Amino acid sequence: MHAAFSSRIVTAKISQYLTAAVFLVWAITLSYFYYSGRAASYLHPFFIPNLAVAGFVLFILAAIAAFAPAPPTRQRRGGSLAGNVASCLFLTIPLLAATSISPSQFGATAVLNRGFIEDIGDLPAYSPPMDPPLPNADGTIGEGTMMNPSLYLAKNENGEIKAETVDLLYAASEEVMREDFEGQTVEVIGQFLPTRTDTSDGNRFRMVRMFVVCCAADARPVAILVEAQDVASFPEMSWVKVRGVATFPLEGDRRIPLLIATSIAPTEAPVQTFLY
Amino acid sequence: MEGVWFTFSLPDFSYAFLSVLLEGIPFILLGTLVSGLVEQFLPAGAMTRYLPRNAFLGICASSALGIVFPMCECGVVPVIRRLISKGLPISSAVAYMLAAPIVNPIVAYSTFAAFRGQGALEFTILRLGLAFFVSIIVSLAVHNLSIRHVLRQQVIEDLALNSQSGAPASGSFWKRMLLAMHAGTRDLFDVGRYFIFGVAVASLFSTAVNQEMLLPLALNDWFAVASMMGLAGVLSLCSTSDAFVAATFVAFPGIAKLAFLVFGPMMDLRLLFIYAAVFRKRFVLGLAIGLFVLIGLLCMRLSVLGL
Repeated sequence: MHAAFSSRIVTAKISQYLTAAVFLVWAITLSYFYYSGRAASYLHPFFIPNLAVAGFVLFILAAIAAFAPAPPTRQRRGGSLAGNVASCLFLTIPLLAATSISPSQFGATAVLNRGFIEDIGDLPAYSPPMDPPLPNADGTIGEGTMMNPSLYLAKNENGEIKAETVDLLYAASEEVMREDFEGQTVEVIGQFLPTRTDTSDGNRFRMVRMFVVCCAADARPVAILVEAQDVASFPEMSWVKVRGVATFPLEGDRRIPLLIATSIAPTEAPVQTFLY
Repeated sequence: MEGVWFTFSLPDFSYAFLSVLLEGIPFILLGTLVSGLVEQFLPAGAMTRYLPRNAFLGICASSALGIVFPMCECGVVPVIRRLISKGLPISSAVAYMLAAPIVNPIVAYSTFAAFRGQGALEFTILRLGLAFFVSIIVSLAVHNLSIRHVLRQQVIEDLALNSQSGAPASGSFWKRMLLAMHAGTRDLFDVGRYFIFGVAVASLFSTAVNQEMLLPLALNDWFAVASMMGLAGVLSLCSTSDAFVAATFVAFPGIAKLAFLVFGPMMDLRLLFIYAAVFRKRFVLGLAIGLFVLIGLLCMRLSVLGL
């Protein structure tokens, strides 16, 4: 009887430390993602501070589990030591495995399975633009009236427009915005993806940026077509910087953004890989 | 890849899996901490004292509780588990569990924002109204079921244990806080396992299944509604942001998007496993089928509105 009692005590003690270990692993993992900045590759900025708070709370729970055990009647039932060990492994191994093998972006498989956003109307949170207000009675331009594009379009060191894929999709559907870009040399950064059902002469590829609402799991690829004389071979989903002339030809029954490239070069991923 | 409906990639799977875990763990943690506080600080019977005694009115009030006490679908399960142990009728708990992730001000705002230019007010009212109505109907059905058919055996035993031990432990505030943390810890372990499994299944489907295969279904209302509910079940999106995704399915009729928005936060692959931490597997399966049929039929009836 004494041996059975001792065995129960040992089992309870081991379970107590296992519980603390699980919380410690979770706390360290969440804190690591927050403080290393790696969370930015997974979450919308709105959710990132939650990791720091949750990590802190989990550290406290780990300390409580380790140093302030629950009274015997309140301890977790359940059991056998083997069951508790299995449970703890299930709560930690998948998280640790995913942390170690997960890349910081989707590959081509998931992107192709999700389907591209190639029309601005398909963009989450898209709302049609409202007409700008008319000029005032005295001819002055009121607040909210369309400004000179040179005042709001970012430029690179060569004076070329720095655009995102999503800007060109907007421009394709909005005539006023299209006038700002059409025929202009623009610089766009995105991820390289060869077209698989290309109707051109094989000299086009897609540039993709992932648009995120909440976390990477809901990311949707926003894509534009790039046409080049010589499409060099880049690894799928690698980051490239394309400089070229923005055009918006009618293909099929809709106007598409098509960048006629003058230079394509590999580049580093931007600080914010997602579009929000 | 075009035409292939399933293509698995381990890096993509692990990336999606990790992103949902990172997003969800803080909310699960919040839910379990709240559940621990409920365990220690909410007097037994308090819920029954404040809710209407009439079962129907009690269910209606519980369905609307999210307006003042919003809770996301991940965190709500440990909370209702504790509320049940504090005397909240199971039917009222189910009403709160199904409605709170939708019938709350945050989701109302996000739905309104997401559907700007697409009948935002109409969609928001219909989403919240339909969720409220569905949760009442389902909870009335649950009201007629025996507790043994609804709750897991372990949960029933915990209830019995709680009723024997009586009121929350007395003692200093800090002692009770400590006990609340321990109670939350137990819930975190129980719900966490199901959460991880559910996230894995949802991540598999959301990365490996070719979602464009669904598009031909948009041409028929019945198929569109069913496929959008299926998609909501697979994607397992958070209710605060799913409207932004739903609004992009421009090829689908409005009733299908509405079905997506009401069904998803009530039942998806991740929730299927989280619910199983509290409810019997057969009940969870019945709940999933019942919600699918009920929401589908109601949305089809709403097609008269010309959405």
